[in-house]
Amino acid sequence: MTDIEMIVAYIRPDKLSAVKQGLSEAGAPSLTVSNVSGRGSQPTKTGQWRGEEYSVDLHQKVKLECVVADIPADDVVDAIADSAYTGEPGDGKVFVLPVESARQIRTGAEGIDAV
Amino acid sequence: MIDLTLQVEPGVIAEGVNLVWVFVATFLVFFMHAGFGMLESGQVRSKNVANQLTKNVLTWGIGVIAYFIVGAGVSVAIAALTSGSEISGVLAHLSAGSTGWASLLFGAAFSMVAASIVSGAVAERAQLGGYLVFTVFVGAVIYPVATGLTWGGGFLSQLGFADFAGGAIVHMVGGVCGLVAAAVIGPRVGRFDDDGSSNVIPGHSLPYAVLGTLILAFGWYGFNVGTAVSVFEVNEAGELALADYAYAGRVAINTALVMGAGSIGAALVGYIRQNKVDPLMTANGLLAGLVSVCSIAAVASWRGTLVVGFVAGVQVVLVFDLLERVGIDDVCAVFPVHGSAGLLSALAYPFVNTTSAFSITQLGIQVAGVVVLAVWAAGATLAIYSVLNALGWARVDREEELEGLDAAEHGIETYPEFGGSVIEDTDRRSSRPSGTPVADGSGESDDD
Repeated sequence: MTDIEMIVAYIRPDKLSAVKQGLSEAGAPSLTVSNVSGRGSQPTKTGQWRGEEYSVDLHQKVKLECVVADIPADDVVDAIADSAYTGEPGDGKVFVLPVESARQIRTGAEGIDAV
Repeated sequence: MIDLTLQVEPGVIAEGVNLVWVFVATFLVFFMHAGFGMLESGQVRSKNVANQLTKNVLTWGIGVIAYFIVGAGVSVAIAALTSGSEISGVLAHLSAGSTGWASLLFGAAFSMVAASIVSGAVAERAQLGGYLVFTVFVGAVIYPVATGLTWGGGFLSQLGFADFAGGAIVHMVGGVCGLVAAAVIGPRVGRFDDDGSSNVIPGHSLPYAVLGTLILAFGWYGFNVGTAVSVFEVNEAGELALADYAYAGRVAINTALVMGAGSIGAALVGYIRQNKVDPLMTANGLLAGLVSVCSIAAVASWRGTLVVGFVAGVQVVLVFDLLERVGIDDVCAVFPVHGSAGLLSALAYPFVNTTSAFSITQLGIQVAGVVVLAVWAAGATLAIYSVLNALGWARVDREEELEGLDAAEHGIETYPEFGGSVIEDTDRRSSRPSGTPVADGSGESDDD
């Protein structure tokens, strides 16, 4: 096992900019983001098409992946959670996973050097 | 200057300018197909976009040929047949010559507007082949009979039926065809539950739908103002004088104002109901307003136009509700936008006509006109689509519908995402740094 950890976070799309800033300040500027839909504690909302309403129970979220080796994962989790906080249901969640191995494609570097 | 005007033949100027104007208007009407294509493809799901666009392209492709070869002659024949005159010149359009073909093309562009309306109603489940067969009938028979009875000089025109730019002749006929076709082939899978309650199936792109709406509105200036076909005429004194252009400004301002009234009407109903302004409904209301001015644009005051347009916008919402209640799946709301708004336009004519006082006789004639045209369009569509249904050509099967018509009928993924074709990229592979692990994983280290 390496000392590499992956932080996976699901956040509000409009908080991405703040979270990027927070990660930068925490010293972990590298990240991958994707648009995802998901369901958690945020209540169902109403969508509308040609004046007719329908319920939407999957909300638009941004999934953020961030792999760190030389800074504590807790710092990164704090940075994300602080930046993404509103206090309303639907703020999202942060998970930390161990990473088995890593390799940088361009250089072929392995392990911590690859991160 | 005086010498110069004496040297030219007024008739030549009149013909030249009139030709230029007919072409400008025709090309604007043609551009409405770009509007229909965007409007309809925006309102379907992403799995049916290519199919909807293909239908729109081939509506013109097949329909205009059907109209040119057969339809224009059918119109002449029906006009003669129903007005009691001798049938002649049925094939004259095929050798009409340059000037004749110019006005024929103007009529052809109108015919394809009527045809294009149908694809929006039967979207997301109609089979391409069956739809195209139906389009041939619209171009060759259904629409030409409607014009033969009216603009061509048939019995409705002799009766005094007034429909300036075709609120009933083009839009109501197209809307009724769409309505009946949608009813015959049935709703999309999942549109209605067993207890009759309806489910919302949102389209994939509001921007396309609104872009399409505004492209249609742009083309509509050609559709309405272009119906004032002749710019100049040579009067009895042999001088050049304004012809239809004497009232073209009225048509243009009414066309512009009615968009506002229609969009406000639909937006307001949505706002009252849900406390929100619905963008697509508002766009549909704008189009319904444009339809509702077609019959009256040349004679209505701006006040009358605003009232009719507002009613057209409001009825879009109500008529669409009604269709849902009776279980008809009109995907792009073509009946509320073209059908009932066109009906409204023709019936509003005697009420808003500034050139003559309201007469109950004229109202009776308008009612007779819309009944004849609607019954014709509905009956013909019912007959043709019932046959297509019996042949199994009307709609795709359930599995194909669920997978999407793009994949089933065209083998296309409109938005492929990661589905690009595989490209061999040997150059980059060979430039990997030497000594790095190879793809089989033999060089990987394992920290465990």
